[in-house]
Amino acid sequence: MAGALSDLKIVELGEMVSAPYCTKLFADLGADVVKIERTRVGDHSRTRGPFPNDEVHPDKSGLFLYLNTNKRGVTLDVATREGFGIFEELVADADVLVHNVTPPEMDRVGLNFDRLQRINPALIMTSIAPYGLSGPYRNYRSEDLTLWCAGGVCILNGGGPQHPELPPLKTFGHQAGYQGGVHAATATIAAVLARVGDEAGQHVEVSVQESIASQLEMTFEYWPYAKMIASRHGQKPVQPAEMMRCKDGYIYLCCIFEHHWRSFVEIMGNPAWADEEIFADGPKRAQNWDALKIFLEEWVGQQSVLDLYRKAQARRVPFAPVSTMADLLNSEHLQEREFFVEITQPVAGTHKYPGAPVKFSQTPSEIRMPAPTLGQHNAEIFGGRLGMTSERIEELTHKGVI
Amino acid sequence: MAKLPLAGIRVADFSWVWAGPYCTLQLAHLGAEVIRIETKTRPCVTRMLPPWPDGVPGTLNRSGYFNQYNQGKKSLSLNFNHPEASEVAWRLIKSSDIVANNFSASVMDNMGFGYEAIRAVKPDVIMISLLGYGDTGPYREYLALGPTQVPNSGLSALTGYEGWPPMHAGFSYPDPNAGIHGAFAVMAALHHRNKTGEGQFIDMSQWECTMDLLAEGILDYTMNGREPRRIGNRDPQMSPHGIFKCLDLPEKIANVTIDQWVAIACADDEEWRRLARAIGRHDLADDARFATLAARKTNEDALEAIVTEWTSQRSVVDVVDALQAAGVAAGACADNKYLHDDPNLAARKYWVELDHPEVGVKRHCGIPWRMSATPCEVKTPAPLLGQHTDELMTGLLGYTAGEIEDLRKKGALD
Repeated sequence: MAGALSDLKIVELGEMVSAPYCTKLFADLGADVVKIERTRVGDHSRTRGPFPNDEVHPDKSGLFLYLNTNKRGVTLDVATREGFGIFEELVADADVLVHNVTPPEMDRVGLNFDRLQRINPALIMTSIAPYGLSGPYRNYRSEDLTLWCAGGVCILNGGGPQHPELPPLKTFGHQAGYQGGVHAATATIAAVLARVGDEAGQHVEVSVQESIASQLEMTFEYWPYAKMIASRHGQKPVQPAEMMRCKDGYIYLCCIFEHHWRSFVEIMGNPAWADEEIFADGPKRAQNWDALKIFLEEWVGQQSVLDLYRKAQARRVPFAPVSTMADLLNSEHLQEREFFVEITQPVAGTHKYPGAPVKFSQTPSEIRMPAPTLGQHNAEIFGGRLGMTSERIEELTHKGVI
Repeated sequence: MAKLPLAGIRVADFSWVWAGPYCTLQLAHLGAEVIRIETKTRPCVTRMLPPWPDGVPGTLNRSGYFNQYNQGKKSLSLNFNHPEASEVAWRLIKSSDIVANNFSASVMDNMGFGYEAIRAVKPDVIMISLLGYGDTGPYREYLALGPTQVPNSGLSALTGYEGWPPMHAGFSYPDPNAGIHGAFAVMAALHHRNKTGEGQFIDMSQWECTMDLLAEGILDYTMNGREPRRIGNRDPQMSPHGIFKCLDLPEKIANVTIDQWVAIACADDEEWRRLARAIGRHDLADDARFATLAARKTNEDALEAIVTEWTSQRSVVDVVDALQAAGVAAGACADNKYLHDDPNLAARKYWVELDHPEVGVKRHCGIPWRMSATPCEVKTPAPLLGQHTDELMTGLLGYTAGEIEDLRKKGALD
C-alpha cells in the first residue's frame, strides 16, 4: 500500500531538529525525501547522540537516526557556486524544499524564493526561521533553549511557590525544534493542497517563536484580558494535581474535578483527616496543600505506581504514572498497539525507536529504510537523478563540493 | 486573491477543551469552514475557565482561553438528549469532509457517531479521534487530561533540576502537540482522498504523540539500557547553557514582584569568548578553567556564578541587546506581558485584534506561518455559544423557520 504522500518529491536542507522533523513526517508517509548535508561533517545532529555504547560516530547518533528515517542522504556544499548549481538542479523537479538555514546564512548563500521559483514555478519552499524572516530579531543567534524561552512557555515551569529562587526550567530535549518542525509540516502540506488545480508554488515561512507562542493555553490572554502576569510561582487553582513518590517510583495525582477527589478518598479507605474542613473542596485543598501533602505523602509512599494507577483508572480518576523509559518500553498497552518500531541501520545496529504519531486506517506510516549514512546516496542521486558521470562526481568530491 | 488551501472543506467539529480545538484551529486558519458542535447543557470547559475581562466570568462567551483557540470557527448548539439533535448532526456530517473529536474512547460510538456508522452514510469521510491513549489496546478506556500525559509520556522523568524529582512542562503540552500533529495528519489524508477518493480513520494517542518528542531519552534506554539523568537547563555539548537571573521588573503588578530571566547558550569555545568579552571579562576569554568545553563543564558552577553576577544587575532587555550585538545566543525568558510588548512579534503582525461582541478588542495569538500565494488571516473572532445555529440550520442544513422554532421549543438546540 502506497503511503498518503508517496507522490511527493521533497528536498531538505536541514540541520538538527526543525526541518528534519518536518520532512520526517512527510517521509514516513511515503514522500521521497533527499536530505542535503554539509560535506565532511554532515548534519549537526550526527554529533548529538545518544550513541550505542557511548561510541561517538557520525552514523550512530540516536537523534540523527530517529529524525532521518526514510530519507536518502547526499553531501553538498551549497555555499560554493558549483554546489549551489547542483542544489538548483535538485530543486528543479522537486515539489517541496524544506530548510532551516538561518536568515543571515540565507543572505550569504543567496538562498531565496524568487531565485528558486524561476527554476521551478511549482515549487513550495518552506523556510523555518527562529524568529521569522522579518522583524528586528531576524538575525538573532539562537539555540533550542533560547527559543523555548522566547516563545513564552519556559517561564511557566520550574521551582513553584516553594522555590522562587530556582530558574525557569527547560523541558527535556529539543522542543522548540519539534514544534517548529510540525507547524512547518502543517503549513507545507496545506500549500501542497492549495497547489492542486493551478500548479502555483509558493513560499511558506514559519517562525519557531510564533509556533511556541501559539501554544500558551490561557496564559497569554491573562495580560490582554486581566492585566495579570502568568507565573510558575502561584498556587495551583485546585489540588491534588502533583507528582508524588510511591514506593517504586512516582505517580501523577490528578483530581481536577470534585468527584475525582471523592473517589481517591475512597481508594485511600476514607481516612478521617479527609473530612477536615480545610480539605473540603479543590480551592481549599490548594490553599492548604502543605498540610494535605503530608497526609498524602504518607499514604501514597506505601503504594506501588501501577497498582494505584489501575485502581484510580478503574474509578475513572485520571492518574498517570511518571513513566521511566523502561516503563514505556515495557508497557503492555504500547506493545499491543505496536507503537515502538525496530529499525536496523547497518552501522548503528538494530534498536527500537518511537513510532508514528498517528495510525491511519488506509495509509499507514511505514519505515522503508533507515536514516542514511553520511553521503550514502551521492552516487545514486548525483549520478542517477542528475545524470553526472562518475568522473564528474569524483572531481566534485575531490574539490570538496560533494 | 488565490483561494485558501482548505477553501470548500467543511469540518464537523465535535472536539472540546484544547487538543481538538487546537487541531481544528489550524484548519480554520487555512480556510476550512469549521463548525463546532456545542451544547448549553455541557459547555466546553474552556468557556468556563479564566481569564475573563475584569475577572468576571459573566456569560459563557467571555473566556480568553476559549476565544484564543476558536478564532474563525462557527458554533452550532445541539442538545443530544433530544433525538432530533442527532438528526441535525447527521445532516451536518453528511455535508462535511472531516469529523473531529477528542472525547474519551467510546463516547462518539455511544452517541451513534462512531466511524463505522459515519462511513456507512459518508464513505469518503476523514475522521480523527485525538484520544488520550488511542483507539485500541488495554488502556483504551483510560482517562487522560493534557497535564497527565506529560508525566505519562516520560517527559517528566527527563525534565528537572539535577538531583531533584521529576518535573512538569509547565503547561498541558500534549494537547497542542496532538492538535498540530492531528492537523497535519488530516491534511495528509485529504491529499490521499484527492488522489484516490478514499477517506479514512485517524487514530491518535496523545500519549504516543508526545513520545515522538523525546526520542533522545528513549534511545538512550534502547541503545544503552540507561535512564537518562535530569540535568536542569544544562546541555552536554554547550556551556554555558542556562537561564540566568536579571533585574526584577521595576514596578509591581497586581502587588506581585515580577522576576525576569534570560536564556544564554554558547555553542562553542568562540561563542564563549564572545560572551566573556561582552560581559567585560576579557580576562576570562583565555582562562584555562573555561577555555574548552570539557573545562567549562568541569567548572560549570563557577562559570554560571560569573554569568549570573553580570546578568543579575541588568534588565533582561539590556542583557539580550548586549549579547546579541556580540553574537551570543541569548533570549528573554518571556512571560505573557513580555510577549505582548515584544517588538519582533508586533513588527511581523503576528497578533489578531478583532472586535468580539462581548469582550471587545483583545489581543490574541495569531498564525505562526506566512504563505506568499495563499495568505492566511483570522477573519472572525471566536463564536458565541450557538451563534451560528440559525444561519446553519436555515442555510446549509435546510430546515424551515417553523421546524427550527419547533426544535428550539423542545430544547433540541440548547
